[in-house]
Amino acid sequence: MGKILDKKDLKCFFEKLQKIGEVVAPVKNENISFKPVKKFSEVCFEGRSMFPIKKYFLPTKEAIAEIKNDAFVEKNDFKKRIIFGARLCDLNGLLVLDKLFLDPLYPDKIYAIRRENTILIGFACKEPLSDFCFCESMDLKDYYDLLITENNEKYYVSIGSKKGANLVTEYKDYDINLKKPVCKKKLKNKNIHDFFDEKFWEKDALKCVSCQRCTLLCPTCLCFDVADEMNIDLKLGTRNRSLDSCHSKDFTLVAGGHVFRDTKLKRYRHRVFHKIQYFKDKFEIPMCVGCGRCMEFCHSKIDFVDTINNLKK
Amino acid sequence: MNLKKYKILSTSKETADDVFLRIETDINPQPGQFVQVSIPGIGEAPISTASCDENFLDLNIRVVGNVTKAIGNLKKNDYIHLRGPYGRGYPLVDFKGKNIVLIGGGCGVAPLRGVIKYLEKHRKDYDEITMFFGFRTPQDVLFKDEVAVWMKKYNFNMSVDKSPEDNPFFCPVGFVTQILDQTKIETKNTEVLLCGPPIMMDKCVEILKKKKFKDSQLWVSLERHMKCGVGKCGHCMAHGFYVCKDGPVFRYDEVKDITDE
Ligand code: SF4
Ligand code: SF4
Ligand code: FES
Repeated sequence: MGKILDKKDLKCFFEKLQKIGEVVAPVKNENISFKPVKKFSEVCFEGRSMFPIKKYFLPTKEAIAEIKNDAFVEKNDFKKRIIFGARLCDLNGLLVLDKLFLDPLYPDKIYAIRRENTILIGFACKEPLSDFCFCESMDLKDYYDLLITENNEKYYVSIGSKKGANLVTEYKDYDINLKKPVCKKKLKNKNIHDFFDEKFWEKDALKCVSCQRCTLLCPTCLCFDVADEMNIDLKLGTRNRSLDSCHSKDFTLVAGGHVFRDTKLKRYRHRVFHKIQYFKDKFEIPMCVGCGRCMEFCHSKIDFVDTINNLKK
Repeated sequence: MNLKKYKILSTSKETADDVFLRIETDINPQPGQFVQVSIPGIGEAPISTASCDENFLDLNIRVVGNVTKAIGNLKKNDYIHLRGPYGRGYPLVDFKGKNIVLIGGGCGVAPLRGVIKYLEKHRKDYDEITMFFGFRTPQDVLFKDEVAVWMKKYNFNMSVDKSPEDNPFFCPVGFVTQILDQTKIETKNTEVLLCGPPIMMDKCVEILKKKKFKDSQLWVSLERHMKCGVGKCGHCMAHGFYVCKDGPVFRYDEVKDITDE
């Protein structure tokens, strides 16, 4: 269960968070986007951000090491951060990223330190935030430190971790069941192994213009490239990691010139299979969290959920 | 990033396209595993390892891109940045008591050299050792001095696609598939390790199946674009496998249905 706060409490709570670290929250301008926020009044409590919160753990482009005198010096980021107002889909997106970046065999240091230093506070959705949301089909987990549900000017705070519990000790307990959103859009089939044949994906692939917005905006798309960038004197530089996309033609290019996924169809199908099938086969949860961004913002309005729902042998 | 700096003990030019590096390192890979080699300012490349269980590491580098070109320019006593070893190698421990057949093409012979080094160390644990190696020309043959020794010690078969100049090994001219096809091989209690260009491996698998080998006796090493080497960046994915982490060595029946990806 959890704690109950009124509007005044929530504002105080938000101000208390400011003393712990940098608070980032959704802000509404042209789009909704996560930004460092100082004033409670700036926080936008509606809608979902266009860009997911992955940017605070896996920036679009960043230096992971400095190159100095022919050697590498690893970079790090120890900033204390509170993400205030992430939606459950995005929080589950972090669960997906954690599976890979916190893999005990090869943990990713920068990512692990950022995760360690971040407090995750979510806003529950009372209803779907867009027509493309289908999170209800994706069995989302309670993956957060705290999750705030608004109901008649009261804020019900569910506790997801000890880190979260410690932040709200002074508030009163509640003991009611909170409603979860019901999505109109549904993904009806999450086992698509039998539909690998090209004919099932032709129509969608024909529309794709390889703009890569789907992968950029997806909360769980993490594929990256690594490249060195040097100053003009070739003495100082950085090794950079930047988000890459399986929709890019060179993504599977090997030395010697061969490209494994050499058509749009193969690339599009790979993304869908990775999101719905491959990841789940390995990690038991699908890679897709049902946020709907890849369809809503697709240049060609390709709707892979529709496509899957209509798959017939 | 886990990169560490190591000293190069020696370098040599194996062929017109290959350089051989011996590196002083505590990295001790299993045959079939790979390391990530970095050149500051140029980038990183996955290189399969060619030695086994020594206090040095041997790498054979086919110069095809910018990073490998830069590696090729390194000299004795220079330093090189490595991380690894990564991936799943050939499970040689499981093959104890068996016959081993090695089939390699071009620079695919390099990882098999690591296998040979291992088998030599544990010779009494294994039965017959048979090799089929193919190169473009006699000049492209890797590890020429060692090949001369292997010829004497093992059931050694080698072919070259063509021989425009002299042929010091007096080996047949033709594809490795031809010598494989023509040679009788015991299938019972045998494991076959393949490494080479995809077409060569496909053709060899076909022949081996004609010889009544089961898919589960064949071990192939897959090539993919690798960036991170540790199952994250997504570049090496092939039908749900991370080739860098789940492979690069796979039992053939695990991956035989992977077509275009
Ligand atoms: S695949 Fe699409 S719907 Fe699923 S999490 Fe990514 S952007 Fe959201
Ligand atoms: S957003 Fe749509 S058009 Fe753009 S690459 Fe993705 S599927 Fe293709
Ligand atoms: S090389 Fe990055 S996932 Fe395999």
